[in-house]
Amino acid sequence: MTSDDGLLGETAEDLFENAPCGYLTTRLDGTIVKVNRTFEAWTGFRRDELLAGRRFQDLLSPGGRIYYETHYAPLLQLQGSVREIAVDMIRADGSMLPALINSTQRSDDAGRPQVIRTTVFDATDRRRYEDELLRARQREQDIAQQLQRSMLSGTLAVAPGLEVDVAYRPAVSGLEVGGDWYDAFWLDDGETVGLVVGDVVGRGIGAAATMGQLRSAVRALASTGLGPGPLLDALDEYSRRHDIGQMTTLVYAQLSLGSRRLRFACAGHPPPVIVRPGEEPCFVWEGRSRPLDTFMAGAQPRGEAERPLAPGSAVLLYTDGLVERRSRPLQEGMDLLLAEVAAHRDDAPATLTTAVVRALRDSEHADDVCLLAARLGA
Amino acid sequence: MTVLKRNNVVEHGPRHAQPMVFAHGFGCDQNMWRHVWPAFDQDYRVVLFDQVGAGASDASAFDPSRYASLHGYAEDILEICRELDLSDVVFVGHSVSAMIGALAAAEEPERFARLVLVGPSPRYIDDDEYAGGFTREDIEGLLGSMDSNYLGWSGAMAPVIMGNEDRPELGEELTNSFCRADPEIAGHFARVTFLSDNRADLPRVPTPSLVLQCSQDVIAPEAVGEYVHRQLPDSRLVYLEASGHCPNLSAPEETVAAIKAFLAT
Repeated sequence: MTSDDGLLGETAEDLFENAPCGYLTTRLDGTIVKVNRTFEAWTGFRRDELLAGRRFQDLLSPGGRIYYETHYAPLLQLQGSVREIAVDMIRADGSMLPALINSTQRSDDAGRPQVIRTTVFDATDRRRYEDELLRARQREQDIAQQLQRSMLSGTLAVAPGLEVDVAYRPAVSGLEVGGDWYDAFWLDDGETVGLVVGDVVGRGIGAAATMGQLRSAVRALASTGLGPGPLLDALDEYSRRHDIGQMTTLVYAQLSLGSRRLRFACAGHPPPVIVRPGEEPCFVWEGRSRPLDTFMAGAQPRGEAERPLAPGSAVLLYTDGLVERRSRPLQEGMDLLLAEVAAHRDDAPATLTTAVVRALRDSEHADDVCLLAARLGA
Repeated sequence: MTVLKRNNVVEHGPRHAQPMVFAHGFGCDQNMWRHVWPAFDQDYRVVLFDQVGAGASDASAFDPSRYASLHGYAEDILEICRELDLSDVVFVGHSVSAMIGALAAAEEPERFARLVLVGPSPRYIDDDEYAGGFTREDIEGLLGSMDSNYLGWSGAMAPVIMGNEDRPELGEELTNSFCRADPEIAGHFARVTFLSDNRADLPRVPTPSLVLQCSQDVIAPEAVGEYVHRQLPDSRLVYLEASGHCPNLSAPEETVAAIKAFLAT
């Protein structure tokens, strides 16, 4: 005999009635046949009210009732049990009891389900915390989107004899913003436009901030008069020194309106497309080098290339989201890009970019898509 | 990606028999039919599939603009029929997929022989004279309760499907492993489903149809089933004793018997 006997002697009835959770038994259609005292106390319904033909789902909010019928009941019938389903129960006084419910079907000897046993846990605090988490996640998305928008805003360079337009489509799947960016700005000589399209690794606020830093750095470096290759080297150095934007890819091009020449360099980025009047659109594969900050000691200076352009020519810069799909080889995506550009070659940049992005962007939308087009006047 | 992979199409029964296509509704996957289709695979070519975003479908095929209305889902059904070259189809649709099938039949009536509509509703929200059973606030509440449930289930776990799990007695080992869905797509599907209004499409469905009406179905109440029956040009209404919204799970024998009686006429 120990002094615990008084406690150990508690009855099964007491364990049921005063369990630290609501406890109820229902028929398969939800009709309540047994409830414990805790459930009565939490819901404010008296036992005789609950046992007068009321169904468990009748105690749920209307939305919860739909959830019950479309998710909870099927799961229970398929699995024989369900765990941790969040519902809102309506108390006798009309107030809401956020709850988590677990249920098990009880079967007879032949394995035919007879009744459902359900435990109900008060989840008021947990639900409050979850709401905070949801709000925090929403807030973070809003901040990242705002950050991205503010960085990509600002007018693109335009002038008589130059049209620039961009189609930018954030990824649909996933909640976070990506790290694609673009820019078009005048260089100090007043007749050359700097064009940039880049892709930062990662997503969310971090990627948006990195993208903003690199975008500013490109503008600052461009104003010192660096050509495309040296500019990418300097940006590489910046990236390395400040530990920003490792593995970022970008293409930087200088389009001179006076001499109608395009100088460009690609750091691990998909090649630009050039469209000359009367010729098929083509990729330009020169001026290529590794992505930023790839820790290649003693690497050669980055190269660049130059192409003459005829009046009316267009240059297209884009991110890999435009051509890469899990469901098809990269080459196919790139062929498709050339075909679509060819089909819209005479359109204004705004029409061209929209049409090409619409044609290439399929239902996956797993990545951001950015396409910038600049066309010289004819 | 092929249509068959996109919708995780699964076939049973003789290839050259009359096709019988089963479509699950919002909230579950083709497992909904696991107690029903085995009653038909002797005499019919049984075709099961998962709606995009549900079950073992390819969630990456989800396109919010394609699925902005039920017509996108109806198009999926027609694509499956075309891919398998099905005609003279018996279509069995549960819940929202009853309406999706009706839309498909209105679009390509020559493809369908019969429609079996289990718990159909052309509109869930009350509207003047029409009693759909819910208010707009109710539906917002549903979307809220989905959010909190998916938070509990964790996004990483949610798309994991055990589509070929056919031993429900093992259920206790698995936590809510059936009827997994991509949370964002499920939320979108809920919105499209419960805000839909396809009342005007019903008179456009020439196919002979069976409306199966459960008792005490909060999602598709009797008045709604009767409305569907009145609006369809050629339909018969059968009241089931089964209560709730999923007679295919809770009363498969009664459901099978009603379908067989209809197909025998």
